[in-house]
Amino acid sequence: MKETMNGDNDGLGELFQIYANACPDVEPSANFMPRLWQKIEARHSFGSVFERLARPGMAAAAALCLLLVVLNLVAPPRNPAVQTYTDALMADHSAERTYYTEAIRAVPGVGEAPAEFRPR
Amino acid sequence: MLVDQELIEKARARDYAAFNQLVLAYRKRILGTISRLIGRPEDVEDVAQEVFVRLYYSLDQLRAAEVFEPWLYRLTVNASYDYLRRARRRSESRMADLSEQQVMMADSLAGSRRQEEEQQKSKTREFVDALFRHVSEEDRILLTLKEVEGLSLKELEQIYGVNENALKVRLFRARHRVLKAYNGAMADGKL
Repeated sequence: MKETMNGDNDGLGELFQIYANACPDVEPSANFMPRLWQKIEARHSFGSVFERLARPGMAAAAALCLLLVVLNLVAPPRNPAVQTYTDALMADHSAERTYYTEAIRAVPGVGEAPAEFRPR
Repeated sequence: MLVDQELIEKARARDYAAFNQLVLAYRKRILGTISRLIGRPEDVEDVAQEVFVRLYYSLDQLRAAEVFEPWLYRLTVNASYDYLRRARRRSESRMADLSEQQVMMADSLAGSRRQEEEQQKSKTREFVDALFRHVSEEDRILLTLKEVEGLSLKELEQIYGVNENALKVRLFRARHRVLKAYNGAMADGKL
């Protein structure tokens, strides 16, 4: 073998050829086909079981979604005073302004307090 | 092609007898390819069966009967690669079995000329397997398909779904690494 493998590219190609011939032919066993069909059947039945379980699951999920939509339509709004999104936003904004106004009044100017708060 | 396109079409239409014939026609070739790709004779049949199970469930996705062989090779490469990934995870526990098997093989090989030939073949396999350890599993599979199985670049292009130039670059790099290891081994007088 040594003389055929001279270390260049052709030598490597030849080595691969010798390797291909050195690999034994694999003969299928007598059980090859029966075992193959068993495996195909096993995977098929696993698929059917999954399908059987998945179908009622999907139906239940769809029913639940429908129920939630109906409940959402039927149920009265939580705060009757707040009708729309803009109402809610305005209500929220006014509360925010009040908070800041009070905060600004509470904080005196740099170095001195406002006149009405000065000690007499 | 080992079978005619009509048989492939029948198998696609879930004709069990046609599928059976298809497996019978290709199983020896697939067993041989897997044997060279995974290098573990005891698991070759299992991987081959996995290939044919995958084939059975994916035949309806085959675009045309003409591309059946590259399709089958792709399934073979993927199943072999999956096997090698799993084998890598459990390699430590298997090393003991392998060495025991090698010892048994070495014991049984003694004396006659035929046994000497077998020893020489075994030595070649071990040597090339050692060279292949210098490249990744993906590159080893690619190199085996090209250099040992003798597939053309066109066929590899169909199997991998990448263009010929990309394959050439990858093959060149892999081959270069193996060649470097080969030259190193020759310089050390390992062969």
